[in-house]
Amino acid sequence: MAEAARLAMARTESVPVPASVPESASGSAPGVAGRWWSARRRERLTQVGFLLPAVLYLGAFFGYPVVKNVVMGFQHYTTATFYTGAAPWVGFANYLAVTGSAVFGRAVLNTVLFTVGSIAGQFTIGLAIAVFFHRRFPLGGMLRSLLLLPWLIPLIVSSAVWRWILDEDNGVLNRSLGGAHLPWLTSTSLALLAVVLVNIWIGIPFNTTILYGGLQDIPQELYEAAAMDGATGLRAFRYVTWPLLRPVVTVVLVLGVVYTLKVLDIILGLTNAGPANATQTLATQSYQLSFQRFDFGQGAALGNILIVVSLLFAVGYLRASRRAVQS
Amino acid sequence: MAQRRAVLATVLALAATIGLSGCGGGTGAGAGGPVTSLRVLDYYNNEPDTTIYAQTLDACGKQNGVTIDREVVPGAALIAKVLQQASSRTLPDVLMLDNPDLQQIAATGALAPISDFGLSSAGYADAVTAASTYQGAVYGLQPVANTIALFYNKDVLAKAGVAPPTTWDELKAAASRLTAGGRYGVAFSAAATYEGTWQFLPFMWSNGGDEKNITTPEVAQALQLWVDLVSSGSASRSVVTWDQADVREQFVAGNAAMMVNGPWQLPVLKQNPNLHYGVVPIPVPRAGEAPVAPLGGETWTIPRTGDTARQAKAAKIVECLNSDANQQSLATQRDTVPTRTSLDAAFAAQDPEMATFVSAVQGSRARTGELGPDWPKTATKIYTAIQTALTGSAPPPAALRQAQDG
Amino acid sequence: MTRAVAGRGAVAGRGGVERRGWGATAVGVLLLAVMLFPVYWMVNVSLQPSGSAVATPWIPLHLSLHGYATALTQQGGHLLTSLLVAAGSVVFSLLVATPAAYALAHFRVRGAGVVLFGTLLSQMVPAIVVANALYGAYAVLGLLNSVPGLILADSTAGIPFAILIIRAFLGAIPVEVVEAARVDGAGQIRAFVSIVLPMSRNALVTAALFTFLCTWSDFLFALTLTTTEAVRPVTLGLFQYLGSYVSDWSSVMATAVLASIPAVVLLLVAQRYVSAGVTGGAVK
Repeated sequence: MAEAARLAMARTESVPVPASVPESASGSAPGVAGRWWSARRRERLTQVGFLLPAVLYLGAFFGYPVVKNVVMGFQHYTTATFYTGAAPWVGFANYLAVTGSAVFGRAVLNTVLFTVGSIAGQFTIGLAIAVFFHRRFPLGGMLRSLLLLPWLIPLIVSSAVWRWILDEDNGVLNRSLGGAHLPWLTSTSLALLAVVLVNIWIGIPFNTTILYGGLQDIPQELYEAAAMDGATGLRAFRYVTWPLLRPVVTVVLVLGVVYTLKVLDIILGLTNAGPANATQTLATQSYQLSFQRFDFGQGAALGNILIVVSLLFAVGYLRASRRAVQS
Repeated sequence: MAQRRAVLATVLALAATIGLSGCGGGTGAGAGGPVTSLRVLDYYNNEPDTTIYAQTLDACGKQNGVTIDREVVPGAALIAKVLQQASSRTLPDVLMLDNPDLQQIAATGALAPISDFGLSSAGYADAVTAASTYQGAVYGLQPVANTIALFYNKDVLAKAGVAPPTTWDELKAAASRLTAGGRYGVAFSAAATYEGTWQFLPFMWSNGGDEKNITTPEVAQALQLWVDLVSSGSASRSVVTWDQADVREQFVAGNAAMMVNGPWQLPVLKQNPNLHYGVVPIPVPRAGEAPVAPLGGETWTIPRTGDTARQAKAAKIVECLNSDANQQSLATQRDTVPTRTSLDAAFAAQDPEMATFVSAVQGSRARTGELGPDWPKTATKIYTAIQTALTGSAPPPAALRQAQDG
Repeated sequence: MTRAVAGRGAVAGRGGVERRGWGATAVGVLLLAVMLFPVYWMVNVSLQPSGSAVATPWIPLHLSLHGYATALTQQGGHLLTSLLVAAGSVVFSLLVATPAAYALAHFRVRGAGVVLFGTLLSQMVPAIVVANALYGAYAVLGLLNSVPGLILADSTAGIPFAILIIRAFLGAIPVEVVEAARVDGAGQIRAFVSIVLPMSRNALVTAALFTFLCTWSDFLFALTLTTTEAVRPVTLGLFQYLGSYVSDWSSVMATAVLASIPAVVLLLVAQRYVSAGVTGGAVK
């Protein structure tokens, strides 16, 4: 048990928090001054070399778009700008316009509900399924792979299929509920729930796969040791599984929230952010501002607000979980 | 290993930049030698349109001594592509645009007026010219047009002893009588997209409403008509999610006795031998008035690529696409209406099924006729108001006012 | 500490507790039936004669294969392109991300926090912003309509995620294992390749799966970065049947079904490696 706890401490130490890290060379062999320096430098160069391709790639493919998006939020950027390049600086006007619009409050509420509902559903169901598949049974591997199918299907196809399933008059769901006429996608109150359910369906494979991988990495002996101490089932899960699964859970939750905040295609495919803005989120509103109203400055401003929200959540959650481990 | 890879990638990227920086495609200023091929961008990405236009464009190209390099994108992605190409100065030589988008793009300065090349829109239906005009200059020519009308199921109406409606009251009565079992009286698209706005416009315009101010009683009355149809059960609540393709599917499946739709559905309707349909103009508020339907169809423009020789050739292609012969052939093959008024009589005579659409196009109105590049904002407000009213969140006048202000 | 690591997964069966019987399989099948019902519906619609989806019966009694005929004749090349781009993206993403993840997990490099932060930030950027920026760059570099171009672009989904998830998994590999190898004279790279990589199979397969699936279903980059039919993944090929005016849903669904098959096969093969767990006996 103590072993497990120490391992847990070691694993949760590697939580991604932007803290300054003391620099120290590892494995450098002391010797003659000249040789020591070159060995050490080679060591450092190799370490940097491990990181370099990723840094170059991220800088090239994400650096410019992020900077451009931030700048666009402060400009009056329209279709004309694409051709002429003229984008007058308007300071915070875009941000004021976007946060002051009638739809903003609704979009914020919908985004919070959509994200919380989706993550809660995806994570708990995904974890339950991962635990279920963790113990081997015949055909388990095959079933587990087939579970990835929802992820595999193009979103345009998924949203079309779900639209037919949820159709009020002829949809399969209503038919199977005994001919009920539930207005899944046509009522302002049910539409958000319907979209959350579809998003949970799409998100389960992602959660299951990663959590399953994490579960597989937990050494068998720990469960045996715990069993010898008398802890099985739920107690084993609480004292063995959960602490060791922590780093993976952290990644899954943080990334899950970040991805859910960005969800666009499934909402647009199902309801076009309707009916009457019942499923309008910050992401869909940002897209519509840019590509339907052609006000790219406002779209970028809203997109930046979304990025800041993501960032605050990620940093906040990581700091909180670090503190929880240390206390 | 990872290091060497990074170095290699950087060197390659640098070499590519140096070697290919001049090859962005179509950006050469001034003359670039004889023109042998032209780039065309359109959104006719599915059959049969894609083949029809491929043949027509190739024929026009051959006539003018050029080969056509055609890029086809899905409809919703066209504007995004145009903007990307505008910013990287890789616009095509001939650009097809949906007519309500032309003024937006023309306002950017990316298009050249057709008068620069000796072309004119004389003889075209008024709405067609209005849609392709920006600040007094015409920027595109549209060979064929379409609009919407009311389709009805002949068998169902005959069985119920109902005549195709011509006024709003008749529409409400007929729809109510035709609603039975799993079938709704009428189906239309009230989706949260420009298709919802498009379908609402004839009702709004025929009643005297105007897009400059959507809070007037005329617009509210038109919206009230839709609200009445849905709340009385004559139209499904799902209209707020349907696009026009879904509406057609409902009609074909027998779930709707009447539908508001356009002639592009005719090929699919014809595939059903058991479906006997008829077409009448959209019902008007009071008897004897003329319906005003929105103008549909795509217009062909000539972007400013900086190469005068290429632009001149592109103009020739646009002219060829708009020739009388091509207008008639495209109209016949694609179930649309030629835009030159002189061809209308002959066309209607040759294809009586299209007669309703021919007169509807003649009396149609361009969506961007009054608001120009500001149309998208108002179009969004209109469909927002429609959705608010149809879901029962607010009565039409309040819904319109909320949309106008928000 | 060493005792706990040794024999991980090697003792009581591969990565699992006791074996359960067919009862669990039955539950699994039921679970799958509920989860995969929309997939079944997709197949159902693909077999409908009318191409419409309104009056679809529960079971396709009147089969029509015209959707599949269309899909097979027109989408074969597109499927191949999708496979090529997805496979290339997986290889490229793992090549770039794994060393970086290892460095972030184990090295004390200055600026590691910044890199991690940047990686997390990159996940928050809407894809469309990246696509628009890439179009301009690709147009200049001549990378439009190319498989390598698509591979590079689609890796924007794989690399950041791979870095984050592999780093989380690698945190479990204790430093002593690597240091033991270093004391024996192995360089950083050799230690990485011979010791760490084999022990992180789980992480690599998970990251590979994610990258493959994201690339396979990518539509935005395919649409933005191609202008001709020369290089067209199947997600874009689908749109041939979804016109502005008419939609041929049975062909769309048939294409989606056909597109899923090679991917499912690959997944079935790959999943076997995840269940194996980390190889034991790394530390004596």
